[in-house]
Amino acid sequence: MNYFPDEVLEHVFDFLTSHRDRNAVSLVCSLWYRVERFSRQRVFIGNCYAISPEKLITRFPGLKSLTLKGKPHFADFNLVPYDWGGYVQPWIEALAKSRIGLEELRLKRMVVSDDSLELLSRSFANFKTLVLVSCEGFTTDGLAAIAANCRFLRELDLQENEIDDHSGHWLSCFPDSCTSLTSLNFACLKGEINLASLERLVARSPNLRSLRLNRAVPLETLQKILMRAPLLVDLGTGSYVHDPDSETYNKLKTTILKCKSIRNLSGFLEVAPRCLPAIFPICLNLTSLNLSYAAGIHGSELIKLIRHCAKLQRLWILDCIGDKGLEVVASTCNELQELRVFPSDPFGVGHDAVTENGLVAISIGCPKLHSLLYFCQQMTNAALITVARNCPNFIRFRLCILDPTRPDPVTMKPLDDGFGAIVQSCKLLRRLSLSGLLTDQVFLYIGMYAEQLEMLSVAFAGDSDKGMLYVLNGCKKLRKLEIRDCPFGNMALLSDVGKYETMRSLWMSSCEVTLWGCKTLAKVMPRLNVEIINEHDQMEICAEDGQRVEKMYLYRTLVGPRKDAPEFVWNL
Amino acid sequence: MELQLGLALPSNPSKGFDLNYFASEPKEIAISNRSFTVASSCTDINDNNKKRSFDQTFETATDSTVPRTLPLLLWNLHPNEEDDPKDLENHSLVTFNNKKDGDNGDGLVGWPPIRSRWWNKRLCHENNRAVGLENGFAFGIRGSNSTYVKVKMEGVPIARKIDVSLHHSFQTLTETLMDMFGQWWLETGQKDLNQYRLAYQDGEGDWLFTEDVSWRTFSRSVRRIKLLKSSR
Repeated sequence: MNYFPDEVLEHVFDFLTSHRDRNAVSLVCSLWYRVERFSRQRVFIGNCYAISPEKLITRFPGLKSLTLKGKPHFADFNLVPYDWGGYVQPWIEALAKSRIGLEELRLKRMVVSDDSLELLSRSFANFKTLVLVSCEGFTTDGLAAIAANCRFLRELDLQENEIDDHSGHWLSCFPDSCTSLTSLNFACLKGEINLASLERLVARSPNLRSLRLNRAVPLETLQKILMRAPLLVDLGTGSYVHDPDSETYNKLKTTILKCKSIRNLSGFLEVAPRCLPAIFPICLNLTSLNLSYAAGIHGSELIKLIRHCAKLQRLWILDCIGDKGLEVVASTCNELQELRVFPSDPFGVGHDAVTENGLVAISIGCPKLHSLLYFCQQMTNAALITVARNCPNFIRFRLCILDPTRPDPVTMKPLDDGFGAIVQSCKLLRRLSLSGLLTDQVFLYIGMYAEQLEMLSVAFAGDSDKGMLYVLNGCKKLRKLEIRDCPFGNMALLSDVGKYETMRSLWMSSCEVTLWGCKTLAKVMPRLNVEIINEHDQMEICAEDGQRVEKMYLYRTLVGPRKDAPEFVWNL
Repeated sequence: MELQLGLALPSNPSKGFDLNYFASEPKEIAISNRSFTVASSCTDINDNNKKRSFDQTFETATDSTVPRTLPLLLWNLHPNEEDDPKDLENHSLVTFNNKKDGDNGDGLVGWPPIRSRWWNKRLCHENNRAVGLENGFAFGIRGSNSTYVKVKMEGVPIARKIDVSLHHSFQTLTETLMDMFGQWWLETGQKDLNQYRLAYQDGEGDWLFTEDVSWRTFSRSVRRIKLLKSSR
């Protein structure tokens, strides 16, 4: 291999698209390391505190596309306080100062300020793609800066962000010369939108393929937009409410018939079910349907809609579809690969909710299923065993029984055997979330069988430290482990300290781990940041070592304790 | 009928799986091979059996034959709360059990594991389910099947609830509100509708007068309503 000039190596490496492959390649020898790093354009950083922007820039001067993740996953469920961290500002500052020609930035669970967006928009002439997922800290003013200054912007994708909506005219800030948009998603914005600006923007964006509107965009505007963009592949409706006898609605019906390219459909943030028939003609072509926000559609109407969607590969839906509805999905959508069933009433005793029967039906009708997120009222071991047998291809299996320690209601036993069957049968399983009544046994199964497992989420499970030990010892590929309300303590935490350097992070909250345990770990492993989140003022710095730690988050890092931690976060 | 799992747990797992294996394996990336023996300097380690059971945590009686959901979730339902619900709605985090509120720890933080923002965004026009109603009120946001908001009339100690989605205009809303508080009026001799202005708190926490907005804007963002004595 030494005989090849660098350009040849580089050309070969170009074919490596996955980050892991490129990471592996860079470890082979110093020559390959050097060639790889100069030719690398896309970098993924799963934990923004694992490395510094300066080191990133030094190593990859050719960087064009950066993905960063900030807060731990449990931040989604309000377990991480507001000011915990995850600021993108230092990254943008460092990149702006450097000669990096950043073109794409994708952020997840990070704090983004308007200043950051402004700096971003002014610093990179070729900036094309901004994707923000579950971020917060910015307003529509920041979006206005992006719109105004990024002359070649192609993608602006805002998913599930908390954006302060100044109801400004950010959409109008796209200059008339901006015609490069391919993807625009502002569904998460709460405020009003300048509809005329939106229509004009769509009209001058011939390459627009993905458009997701927010609730402020009424059906009339949707119809006008679709007239201008019949080549859309991905559509998220805004408010889908109108009088089905009106001329506007009839116009929509005709217009939709022309939109033969739509494959992904979402939105329906407000919906009048009587207007749904307008979309039936395009349902046959759909591969992805997200109705998880469409609370206004009853179970029976959902079922009617689903019957038209024979080619679905991805379905996100509310549990008001019921077990019967899932049976319809099972018989109609035989190509289904990913299913998410969300609770429409997470805190109630849902009468329309789904049970194990719906899941079993799905497993029979949809053998290609590989990703599942299922909120349900109850689950049985027998059902899980059946599902495991019918669908051995699961990569992601996330089950959430709304009552977190509910046993199998038929046998009153824990669900250990059911999940055991899943991990034994699904040899490619990478992500698993458990719920229901569970003992140490389920962790033994996981440790034994889940060889490819990378991420495990555990709540209210286990009996003793053994549970956690089974997992730490058994799952060689484990990268992220998040645990809440389990009886795992110092013994489990400290048994294999080296393990944590092979993982991205560990979260433990409301467990039995004490301050002593965390301090000990931190002392022994300098390349881990062991952070304690202490929201109550009771725990002083000279707190007793025997005190239980409420929230601990540890992660490997090359750059030591972070300097932006707020008061309530202690790095031990 | 026995469940034949075929899991066949061997007594000596051939995969080299050993609970007592404490040392880390050599890895590609250089990690110092440390084995750490737990020194029991802290008595706490020996208290491993002192598990905090789910029941203890939440101080509810276990009744495993009855589906338990609601009883686990205890909310502070204080109809006369004058407090600032901004604590709940600040940062747009609808924290179902925000300990910062001085909530005594009842309730399950972060369960079910679903994004509160996702939850908060869903506007539902269903209003038939009493259960959803309770929850909607308790959070101070709209629950899945309820658009009930709290209404307070200036000078009246007791607040009421009204389902905004049942109305399509300010007129019907105002009429209904006047009826609701009518009893109070009879008792105090107040009569004049025109004496009161309708104000509401929107999703951002701001208080606005309904005279300034369209019904559509109002109905989509209203979180609370106040009837204020007008000085006109």
